[in-house]
Amino acid sequence: MFDRKTLLTLVLLLVPVAVLVLGTELSGVRLLDRIATTLCINLILVVGLQVFMGNSGILSFAHIGFMGIGAYASAVLAMPVQMKGMALPDLYPVLKSVQLSPYLAMAAGTAIATLVAAVVSYPLMRLSDAAAVITSFALLVVLHTIMVNWSAVTNGPRTLFGVPRATDLYLAAGAAAAMIAVALFFKESRTGVLLRAVRDDEVAAGAIGAHVSVLRWRGFVLSAAMAGLAGGLWAHFITSFSPSAFYLKETFVILGMLVIGGAGTVSGAVFGAFAVTFAFEGLRASETIINAAQFLPTQIVGLTEIVLACAMIGILILRPRGLLGTAEIGAVIGASRGPAVTAQARQR
Amino acid sequence: MLEVRNLQVRYGAIRAVRDVSLTVRRGELVALLGANGAGKSSTLLAIAGALKPAAGTIRLEGEEVTALSPEQMVKRGIAMVPETRDVFPDLTVAENLQLGAFVRRRDRAEVDADRQALFDLFPILAERIDQPAGTLSGGEQQQLVIARAMMSRPKLLLLDEPSLGLAPAIVDKIFDMIVKLRATGVTILLVEQNAGKALRIADRAYVLSLGAIAAEGTADEIASASDLKAIYLGA
Amino acid sequence: MAAFIQFAIDTLSLGSLYALMALGLVIVYGILRLVNFAYGELIMVAGYTLFLLNGSPLPWLAMAAVAVLMAVLTGIATDYVAFRPVREKSVTAVLITSFAFSTLLQNAALLFISPRARLVPVPDIFSQSVHIGGVVTPLRNILTIVVALLLLAGFAVVMKRTVLGIALRAAASKFTMARMLGVPANLIITSAFAISGLLAGVVSLFWLGRIGSVVPGIGLEPLLVSFIATVIGGMRSLVGAVVGGFLLAAIVTGLNYTLPQNLLQFRDAFTFSLVILILLWRPEGLIRGPATGQRT
Repeated sequence: MFDRKTLLTLVLLLVPVAVLVLGTELSGVRLLDRIATTLCINLILVVGLQVFMGNSGILSFAHIGFMGIGAYASAVLAMPVQMKGMALPDLYPVLKSVQLSPYLAMAAGTAIATLVAAVVSYPLMRLSDAAAVITSFALLVVLHTIMVNWSAVTNGPRTLFGVPRATDLYLAAGAAAAMIAVALFFKESRTGVLLRAVRDDEVAAGAIGAHVSVLRWRGFVLSAAMAGLAGGLWAHFITSFSPSAFYLKETFVILGMLVIGGAGTVSGAVFGAFAVTFAFEGLRASETIINAAQFLPTQIVGLTEIVLACAMIGILILRPRGLLGTAEIGAVIGASRGPAVTAQARQR
Repeated sequence: MLEVRNLQVRYGAIRAVRDVSLTVRRGELVALLGANGAGKSSTLLAIAGALKPAAGTIRLEGEEVTALSPEQMVKRGIAMVPETRDVFPDLTVAENLQLGAFVRRRDRAEVDADRQALFDLFPILAERIDQPAGTLSGGEQQQLVIARAMMSRPKLLLLDEPSLGLAPAIVDKIFDMIVKLRATGVTILLVEQNAGKALRIADRAYVLSLGAIAAEGTADEIASASDLKAIYLGA
Repeated sequence: MAAFIQFAIDTLSLGSLYALMALGLVIVYGILRLVNFAYGELIMVAGYTLFLLNGSPLPWLAMAAVAVLMAVLTGIATDYVAFRPVREKSVTAVLITSFAFSTLLQNAALLFISPRARLVPVPDIFSQSVHIGGVVTPLRNILTIVVALLLLAGFAVVMKRTVLGIALRAAASKFTMARMLGVPANLIITSAFAISGLLAGVVSLFWLGRIGSVVPGIGLEPLLVSFIATVIGGMRSLVGAVVGGFLLAAIVTGLNYTLPQNLLQFRDAFTFSLVILILLWRPEGLIRGPATGQRT
């Protein structure tokens, strides 16, 4: 199931997560707790995107939309009945009386996101690469439109409040660790390997019996499931949100994390999430300081996005495979015995 | 006219052309022979500017042209017909030919005259003038791409495996036309797997094996060389 | 009868904009096989140009010309910033760089102008009413159709009769071979982006004329429209883009007329579902593009 190198990668990738949790707990700073939990949830999102994008080679813009489905589904199912009366006055009677534990609700949210993805995406997997990307973009917009207009369930474009708090750092980190393992497992599974074969040479892969649409579909559905899980976790962390949290800006950030780290590997996804989060927090702090000090004549807004955009373009020009390249960490470190092995082979 | 020295062409880590030096004098018809994968096409593509050599120099009429782009090479008087033929399938025969004369598009009268001359040489093209090029047969497409290359009035014509995929009778016709073309004064470097037919029309020949020149000489010398088979079969 | 004429005018005027928009996207895609995510921002740039010129002594036509020019220049700039540096690397790389460039442009507008809507000068004749067959409609709609037809006809002439058009079609079919005939690659690509910018620029005049103001995110809807029209029309076909544009307009207008009030806000979801059905039936789009044999 897992070979040595993959196991090594898994262990190496769990280390920064563990360090993050330990460091935050030891410091006792509330702000760090928020940043760390958000980072763990972003890890799940980025790794989830990597599962589809890295293995199929197709860019999907719809990812965050499924996060939204998971978030809203989980929120509505877990919200206390009394709260629902206030927050969602037009909610359907069937749902009004339901109240699940947040953990069950998160699971249900994940399941619903998975189901929607499974149904909607199947016809789209037969499209050519460019058409698939474009359609995924359209899908994001449609999901957003539904979230904005289905007021009975989502409170429309307004903020939905009253979601019970249930996500703490340990839960988020544990889920992130589990998803990293799932991503690595998928990568080395039969589906993952075949999917990469399709990515590299569609015709040849077809010749050995790879059913292209089905393989892509599996990757997409797993990816959406992970996004749904992230959505549920986030909903019960932030406790109030609106549809604008699941649209282009977030898509851009998650995509940026994956591209900068490297879309081809789970290690790249993890690295990218950490790197961009730290850079972002640093930039945000500077933006606040500059604005507060009135250093410049106007308030700076949107600077962080511009910097991220430039960084993405820069990386793609200089290191198109991302900062970490094409090999998982475990493979790189485990291969340090390389030359000796090749020398032996040549002697034969 | 053409001088290639120590040419090296790489595809990533693979060296398709290891060390090739050849000369083509004005008015000659030189054949470049060798088995599949010997590096013949890569050599031609490097000369045409479509591939950047990893090492070596290419000189055209004394001037260094090694790193020039394909567009610049056409302006210098080189025209290439690739192995894949590459007609523009949705453009008509006329439009394909018009594009061949792109660099001379301002000399309308001369271009028209050349086109007429090419129709004399390849009458089937005049017949199919307004048909989409993709509807032509393999042999007709081969004639079209050769005519299209000639529309730029090149000094040096590079032909990559014109016989590929064609029936023997058609191949003979194509080779007849190549001889007629040569009579108009254009220098030709011909890459071919079909060594026999190529040697019958060539002045001199080079034999390529695994990316380097394995033999060179006049067409007669090469044709009678006993180790030719060995070179081809890679012994 | 009047209802039919109303439907026809609405569909044709909307379809004209959609078709021109989609055409601009496919021109670049057909030659470069690359999707330009910053395409919608050309409308944004034209809009802010009009806003900045507002109040100047120039007649509207002159302001409009400058706006279109700005769209053309931004289109060419997109090539230099987002495409040229990464063209060789991979298809995904270019998708992402153009997406990043799009974000950059929007945030620049946000930062340097304003996140709020800004008014755009609209000529009076746009709002004059016209009576056709018992139906009253703004003159703007008729102008849209006429201008679009002229542009499409002009475009067809350029493509079929001029050397540039033949070179563009050849480059879309086999790019390297065109270069080997001496067709300058960079000129071709810049021309494609310039034409793309011209089309978007003209569309923006009528698009903004409908809304009357510009916001940083205004490019999203036209981008989406171009995407969907292109996909259902067939990604590599110029004719397909035009057909896709009109078909999409017919679907949207039809839904506008037939959906019950409470479902109207979900119109885009219904549109997309219909699009999915079309794609289920014909994944390569409705019109086959030029043959190359490679995967699109």
